Order: sequence, then C-alpha cells, then structure tokens
Amino acid sequence: MQQAGSSASETEVTWEDQQNINKFGRLNNRLHEVEDEIKIAKETNESLEDAGNELILTDEDTVRFQIGEVFAHVPKEEVESRIEEMTEKTSKNLVKLEEEKESIVAQMAALKKILYGKFKDSINLEED
Amino acid sequence: MSTSAGLTDRRGIPAAPFVEDVQIYLSQLNLDVNSALAFLQERLQQYRVVEMKLLAQQRDLQAKIPDIEKCLDVVATLQSKKGTGEELIADFEVSEGIYSRARIEEAESVCLWLGANVMLDYSCDEATVLLQKNLENAKASLEVLVADLQFLRDQVTITQVTIARVYNWDVHQRRLQQTTATPSES
Repeated sequence: MQQAGSSASETEVTWEDQQNINKFGRLNNRLHEVEDEIKIAKETNESLEDAGNELILTDEDTVRFQIGEVFAHVPKEEVESRIEEMTEKTSKNLVKLEEEKESIVAQMAALKKILYGKFKDSINLEED
Repeated sequence: MSTSAGLTDRRGIPAAPFVEDVQIYLSQLNLDVNSALAFLQERLQQYRVVEMKLLAQQRDLQAKIPDIEKCLDVVATLQSKKGTGEELIADFEVSEGIYSRARIEEAESVCLWLGANVMLDYSCDEATVLLQKNLENAKASLEVLVADLQFLRDQVTITQVTIARVYNWDVHQRRLQQTTATPSES
C-alpha cells in the first residue's frame, strides 16, 4: 500500500498537497479494484467461450442451462443465443474497465509528477 | 490555525483536522510531541476498526447483488414460459451432489424468501417489482458505503501525514537545539 512517508525536511505541506495525496491514495485503491474486476471479467469470458465450444461439440438438442440455482432444460439454439448475449455483455464491460484503468494510471502519473516535484525524496509513492 | 477547509464529519466518522503549522497545532492541543503522536496513532487505530467494519458490509452487499439478479433471472424465465403452455423442466440440487428433476407448469406465482424464516407468495409481476426494488436499494447502499470508505481512507491518509510531520518537526527541533547548544562550549 502506498504511503506518504517523509524524511526530516523543511518542506511545508499545504492543504492542496494533502488533497493531492488523498486523491492519489483513492486512485490507487480504485486501480487495484479495477484490476481485480478485469481479471474476473477475463475469466468469465473464457468460461463462456469454453461453454460455447462444448455446445458445438454436443449432439443433444436440450442443454441444461444454469438459471439462478437450478439447471433448466433449454433448447440448444436458445442456449447459444443466451451465451452470445452474455459474452457481448462481458466484453463490453471489459472494454469499459480497461478504459477506466488507463484513465486512472494517467491521473496517477500526473499526480506523481506534481508530488515528487514538490517533495522529491520526502515522499514515497511506489508500491512496496 | 490548524483547521482544514471543509472539516465535516461523515455519518459518525470524525474528520481528521488538517494541520497547517505543526508548532501551532501542538500548542493548541497543549501536548508534548510524544503525547500528540500517541493521540494520533490512537485515532489511526480507531479509523482502522471502522474501515474493517465498512469493508465487511461492502463484501456482504457485493455478494447480495448477484443473488438478487439471479432471482430476477429465474422469475423472468418463468414468466416467459407462462403464455406458451410449455412446461419448464429443471434439475435442482436436493442435497450436495444429488439432483432431482422438476416440472414447472404455468407458474402463476412464486414464493420469495424474505429472511427471518418468512416466505411469501407473490405473483410473477409483483415478485419482479419487489426484487427490482431490492436490487436498486442494494446498489444505492453500496454506493453510499463506497463513498464512506473513500472519506475514511482520506482521513487515514491525512492522519498518517500529520504523524509524519509532527515526528519530523520534533527531529528538526532537536537538531536546532543541538546546534545552538554546541557553540557554548569553549
């Protein structure tokens, strides 16, 4: 977890500096959350792809498709279209998450520049 | 003065005052450096306790939301089968590893588990409305919770920075005292 640690120095910390440090902390937390969500979305996509492949291989007309806690008997075509729908939804979500991640990384880089510029060695903004 | 812009508490979480000048802050508190540091550390601990609580609540809500969405899915599926006269055949778990087959015809109503050992019968439409409302409430609560956590983490950061600054100020003061003390030696 990044912390603002300081060595003995004269530099005064203004309210604006404090707000920048707070913002950096918030962004860092959000970055970790987004990275976790991206991982889950990628895994879901993979599972859906595996399911789609299995579907092509099977010769049954009815597939047990999980809805809620039960496995409903659903005709193959309906399962195919459901899986397609779910894949599209997950992919869109993944794109959105990746964009958010990029934006966060950019904002953090900008804040690093400002904070290192003022505090130089007195502040540590790296992951340990 | 040692108060910050916008010092407002949030839902029981005390805001951490931003310190403009360490010396003025210490004289206002009327504490020596070590007591001030101890006080700030204690504050930090209290914040951590609240953070744990909020994180647990967040985890619960994050688990609840997909559950509600699954229920909505089931009700929607039952509703879509209603007009067609088709029956829905489903395999469900009776016990771990043991499944049984159910045939569901013309689902007029569904039973919803409301908690506290209470289960009520609802028509499909009513059930959808109720579940939808629960979902929205859960999402709204989650949003508020996330904002609380952000506020809390900000206060933690402010307190950590204050601790570092008080400590550094103290080190600086001692250095000054040392340099003023030595010239008196002959």
